[in-house]
Amino acid sequence: MSRNQILANLRTSLASNRPWLEEVSRSAPHAPPPFVHPPAADLVAQFCEELAKLEGRAYPVADGEEALEVIGRLLDERNARQVIAWDLEQIDLPGLPALLAERGVSLLDADVQGPGRKERLQTLEPVAVCLSGVDCAIAESGSMVLRHGPGRPRLASLLAPAHIAVVRRSQLVRGLGEALALLRERHGATLFDATSHLTFISGPSRTADIEMTLSLGIHGPPEVHVVVV
Amino acid sequence: MSTHTLHFFDRVDTALHDATLRTALDRATTRFVGNRAGAIGALSDADRLRDQARALRAYALSRLDELLERLAERVEDRGGHVCWASDGEEAKRYIAELARSRGVRSIVKSKSMASEEIHLNEALERAGVEVVETDLGEYILQIAGETPSHIIAPAIHKTREQVGALFEQHLGMPPTTEVPPMIRAARQALRQRFLRADMGISGVNFGVADEGAVVIVENEGNARFTTTVPRIHVAIMGIERIVERLEDLAVMLQVLARSATGQKLSVYTSIISGPARPGEADGPEEFHLVLLDNGRSQILGGQYAEALMCIRCGACLNACPVYQSIGGHAYGGVYSGPIGAILTPLLQPDLPDNHLLPHASSLCGACQEVCPVRIAIPDLLLRLRADAVKAGKFHPIEKTAIQTYATMMNNPALYRASGKFAHLGARLLRRKGRIRRLPPPLHLWTRGRDFPSLPAQTFSEWWEERERQRRSG
Ligand code: SF4
Repeated sequence: MSRNQILANLRTSLASNRPWLEEVSRSAPHAPPPFVHPPAADLVAQFCEELAKLEGRAYPVADGEEALEVIGRLLDERNARQVIAWDLEQIDLPGLPALLAERGVSLLDADVQGPGRKERLQTLEPVAVCLSGVDCAIAESGSMVLRHGPGRPRLASLLAPAHIAVVRRSQLVRGLGEALALLRERHGATLFDATSHLTFISGPSRTADIEMTLSLGIHGPPEVHVVVV
Repeated sequence: MSTHTLHFFDRVDTALHDATLRTALDRATTRFVGNRAGAIGALSDADRLRDQARALRAYALSRLDELLERLAERVEDRGGHVCWASDGEEAKRYIAELARSRGVRSIVKSKSMASEEIHLNEALERAGVEVVETDLGEYILQIAGETPSHIIAPAIHKTREQVGALFEQHLGMPPTTEVPPMIRAARQALRQRFLRADMGISGVNFGVADEGAVVIVENEGNARFTTTVPRIHVAIMGIERIVERLEDLAVMLQVLARSATGQKLSVYTSIISGPARPGEADGPEEFHLVLLDNGRSQILGGQYAEALMCIRCGACLNACPVYQSIGGHAYGGVYSGPIGAILTPLLQPDLPDNHLLPHASSLCGACQEVCPVRIAIPDLLLRLRADAVKAGKFHPIEKTAIQTYATMMNNPALYRASGKFAHLGARLLRRKGRIRRLPPPLHLWTRGRDFPSLPAQTFSEWWEERERQRRSG
């Protein structure tokens, strides 16, 4: 059996090289730094600035009402009749269901599992806007952290040409180390029980594969709009 | 002299005479080097972060058996399947059989060095399945019928005119030399491929043992589609690409993104643990993890074990003056540049002129300097050179010549002096831009091949000047 063969090879190999590897392993502490850049005083400002550098758009707003206004405008500008979204209860913004209803914007049923998967994917494809919340957001890299699972489709941050996300000020952390520690604190060892997929998103989809020319939106959304409440 | 040893030199020669390639390489490597320097420089404590990354890689390798078992067990706990593949044949057989038994007709792939290492696409195509590469650069190369020239930017040797012509021919795009319409055409064409695919195959940047998860980083979103849309997701992971804890990623992802492209984090980092859970709207119904050994478990016990710390960031390629001149194709294997000169002979041992690869280096040390996990690349190259000579891989003529060459390369003063000497001499010997005979002992080199005439500066003069300019600029 290959499994046993591979493991046996590894053990033989480690018999000679483990001491050296352990010595290197001890040469530096393993605990990750909570953040890696000099800390900024204002996390909201830092997040917005970093996101702008990535060609994403941030909208720092004072309250929920203003957040709804921004989202309404973004939907109108894109003439969005349909959106693909997280379950609205999982997006921390009261008034969002009413806002969509007022405008006659319908929520697509994102379920593609089972027979007829490809047909349903084709039906979802023309959707204009993705709408999601986040689990936390990282100020020093302008990143959003999204846990996917029931009620939180992966395609709701991927499929459409525009992704609108709602971030609460209290969800901002400084760095990646802090973000992972926070997830651990909230979910402990069961983090991946209900979560099949965890995604960090830092700005719009990009490529420089043709002559090193930066282009947005080759596969994922070319527009990323983050409303920071 | 045997003919196969000419291949490597032929490839080098071709590369050196390809003006488009040289311009593209220059543009790309200069940009990457600048971006990396900026990103690493902005860190509060870059040295510490790199030391940590190195320590974590060493830790994972020191317990590789245990961590792999844990990873496999937890993937299975979450409803995934694991294939332990001793070599490429086993991995290919498993995936081809899976495709057959599930009635898979079309596969989308995101970038995976491991799958290129084992020539997976060819095997699947032989089995009658259509395979589409979805990373833009890889897609361009696939329709052009070419191989990657750079680990991070695989199609940098293609001009926009060439890409435009390819898209016109294959996608029916109206003629253009503008990039944005090309991006739109590719987005549309590949979007349909994703939605129609039965299986998605991805690589793995890191396995996370404790969580039974795999981590995939990318900028385009093609890996997210590949791992989300098709009914089956197969991830191929070299067995050494593992960390123990989720928290370790807070070190590894940061050095990876900064070293590769100068980003703080890649646009998308996906951490995937098993198939979609019950009640989940999308994501694959089946998840398969292929753990590819292909020689790695043996390498771990030898004097090249350190090469297994590599996280494939590509920084050493961009920093390497030899790579900057010849590009990735000349190396002949999947892995190019300084680390490729080490990995290719170890992981693709059947390639005929592997023994020459470790000589595609001036041992200037720039690679080790930029490596986020501080692999002693020049040391490893020297050991490989010595091994190849001991193993009798060299024709006696090559052997003497290369030893002389190595002595000079290892002694900066001697190298400079001989370079100057050769330089003067070379001018006298030059005929039509080619040198047909070099003075002894270097004449051994030219007995079987022409030696391109030397540029107006010696390499070390050029390097010193470049460094001077860099410091002052
Ligand atoms: S050897 Fe180091 S610099 Fe080169 S690709 Fe690997 S990790 Fe990056």
